[in-house]
Amino acid sequence: MDMNQYMGMFLEESREHLQALNRSILDLENDPGNLSVLDEIFRSAHTIKGMSATMGFNTIAELTHEMENVLDLLRKGELEAGHDIIDTIFKCVDTLEQLIESVANGEDSAADIQPLLNKLRLLSKTEEAKPSQQPVIKKEEAAGTSKLTLSEEELSLMETAKGQGLATYEVKINLREGCLLKSARAYMVMNALDELGEVIRSIPPVEDLEKENFDFSFQAVLITASEPDKVRQTILSISEIEEVTVLSLQPTETSRPETPTEQKVEAKAAAKAENEQHTPEHNSNHRPVVHNGTEKRLKGGQSVRVDIDKLDSLLNLVGELVINKTRLAQIGLTHRLTDLVETIEQMDRVTTDLQSVVMKVRMVPVGQVFNRFPRMIRDLSRELNKEVNFIMQGEETELDRTVIDEIGDPLVHLLRNAIDHGVEHPEERQAQGKDPVGEIRLIARHEGNNVIIMVEDDGKGINPDIIKKKAVEKELISQADADKMDTNEAVRLVFLPGFSTSEVVTDVSGRGVGMDVVKNKIESLGGMVDVETKINGGSRFKIRLPLTLAIIQALLIKVSKEIYAIPLGSIDSTINITTDDIKTIQNQEVILLRGQIIPIIRLANVLNIQESGQPQEELFVVIVHMGESKAGIIVDNLIGQQEIVIKTLGKLLAGIKIIAGATILGNGQVALILDIGSLM
Amino acid sequence: MAEQTYSSDEIQLVVFKLGREEYGISILQVQEIKRMTDITRVPRTPDYIEGVINLRGSVLPVIDLKKRLDLPHQDDTEDTRIIIVKVEDIAVGMIVDAVSEVIAISRENIESPDTVVGGVSTKYLSGVGKQDNRLLILLNLEAIIGIGQEVKVS
Repeated sequence: MDMNQYMGMFLEESREHLQALNRSILDLENDPGNLSVLDEIFRSAHTIKGMSATMGFNTIAELTHEMENVLDLLRKGELEAGHDIIDTIFKCVDTLEQLIESVANGEDSAADIQPLLNKLRLLSKTEEAKPSQQPVIKKEEAAGTSKLTLSEEELSLMETAKGQGLATYEVKINLREGCLLKSARAYMVMNALDELGEVIRSIPPVEDLEKENFDFSFQAVLITASEPDKVRQTILSISEIEEVTVLSLQPTETSRPETPTEQKVEAKAAAKAENEQHTPEHNSNHRPVVHNGTEKRLKGGQSVRVDIDKLDSLLNLVGELVINKTRLAQIGLTHRLTDLVETIEQMDRVTTDLQSVVMKVRMVPVGQVFNRFPRMIRDLSRELNKEVNFIMQGEETELDRTVIDEIGDPLVHLLRNAIDHGVEHPEERQAQGKDPVGEIRLIARHEGNNVIIMVEDDGKGINPDIIKKKAVEKELISQADADKMDTNEAVRLVFLPGFSTSEVVTDVSGRGVGMDVVKNKIESLGGMVDVETKINGGSRFKIRLPLTLAIIQALLIKVSKEIYAIPLGSIDSTINITTDDIKTIQNQEVILLRGQIIPIIRLANVLNIQESGQPQEELFVVIVHMGESKAGIIVDNLIGQQEIVIKTLGKLLAGIKIIAGATILGNGQVALILDIGSLM
Repeated sequence: MAEQTYSSDEIQLVVFKLGREEYGISILQVQEIKRMTDITRVPRTPDYIEGVINLRGSVLPVIDLKKRLDLPHQDDTEDTRIIIVKVEDIAVGMIVDAVSEVIAISRENIESPDTVVGGVSTKYLSGVGKQDNRLLILLNLEAIIGIGQEVKVS
């Protein structure tokens, strides 16, 4: 059978476990004695090992195996999780990531795991040197013995296992005659064995098992802490298994592979004899009942990766459904078809739910991107000998998938800068009376129909004078320009192409690709980036991103005959005023609201709408805000609050500043969404 | 239909009317033809952009083709249609007075726009097709939609 069908599951699960590993190893570093974290790490590593062995990715299995040995020593308290060990484990995780990604891309990995393996072995050697007081395999009698020929490597694995109090068994599995999908059964058996311990060999090899190159029986060599009976039971719980024999393996001199042929025959004969001896007692009693193995596997596949285009068209189809439903409702009303109207009310509920589900599918918590940063910050601060406390907030803030995919790189850049240029060395900080441990914050939150992502540090800040000097030196601006600039303008020079304050080109930054790249990227997503800074008080980079295709709450308003949507997040309140309330200051219309002077925007003028006729005595004003500033928008009518889907106007109309996008109303009509920021 | 083959020296045109003149665009660029529908005006756009429509959940800009070609205005009728075309990934609707038919015309019957003089600025034309006694004005959609201009700017 083709293992490819398990590939998706394998990749998805491995990636999840790698992420979990990164997270928990960081936790471990902060709390080296935490056994439950260690257990978690161990489990993840173990699962990856099991899966990769089953899939035949031996390099991955080998690496995780060695990793486990070290982890086990940590767990037993025989090793301490110092920086060195944590570094090595992180390196393992990185290499595993590389290996798994190359599996995903269908290429051979170039990763050389040998140095890592050596390092891991060296780490676990410390333990091996100590004489182990563990008794030799105890369960011999219960299991019987096998004389299977093992390779040097397998023997050494076995010996190590023995040292750890683990037993090695030869497990012989007979499938029921006429069993269908033999390879699938074999796969399940191997999986089940992996749950119990570690399969170091299978006969025939895994490839042959996959290709169904075997009759109805196969064998596996298992290193495990479980009792032979447990092993037997577990396998018998898989359907279509005729019988299972568990034989104890002894690393004896005779099993060394000097004279392989003879011994193999001998071993086989011996095994057969044992087999006959032991089968009767546990053959008939344990009939398979539950499909433990399969159920466990299936759970892994509860999420599905979906192509973004498919989601787009799904959303469009649902939209069309809603529109047609509205039309039907109108027909029902016009022709007074009570039955139809009632049915449509039912349908209305379903379509509304359907619509919101489809829309929400596209939204992804920004935490998906944030997750990789703690690890990065840790590595960088170690590399630069700085101490950093990294705080993330608002990981649950949701953003459209397309945006999520793009913001990773700009954030990496900002965070790197925060460590490299922002946070000072501990001594320097102490000299200034700061906490030697610097702080970097990554914060996400919604603000209107935007998502704000901020990268803050409490480091040395950006000195506008130095920035000006640099910019003049690099001939990016003239001295005259520089003299005219105020502090804020000067600080924004960091966004100029070719600008870098770093004196030395390091691995981290100062390679000339700088903030301009970040700025371009953010702007290409329709966002903005800005910086606030204070000398010795730190810097804050603020990214404002639109939700290109998101659901937002909006207030629908009417001006003349046109309907517009104002994102609720930008709205403070709505008030009624009379024309007398409007005053002018230097020809700018304003109103006084609770002591605050608020400028008035007449949408009809801004949007070139032909006025509907006679001026109204009472006016509706929507008070909106953008940052600190407020404005009042005069509208003819308020229609109501509604959840809307933001759609782009497409390339052709991309340049219109005051329109943030469009949305489709229940009746199929298009309404434009106002961009409050550019109105003010 | 399935058996039908098209020879390479023949192109299929969707023929439509603007005022009294007949125009043609390649059928390969036409996505669909829609009846007149509600169009939402978009402020601060050139006047030939009539607004945006909802096409099964997507928002598409619509061009008033007569305004674009500086032809005299005429009120919408029962026959008014929106032809949805797609040029280089950009889908746009074009309002026309009527869509009459699809015809095949051989390439040798198409003359380059330089050789003819018409009421329409030649930059929007790609040629003139002759069939029997009819003259079909073939449009250069890239220019009409403004794709060429965008490229020039960047």
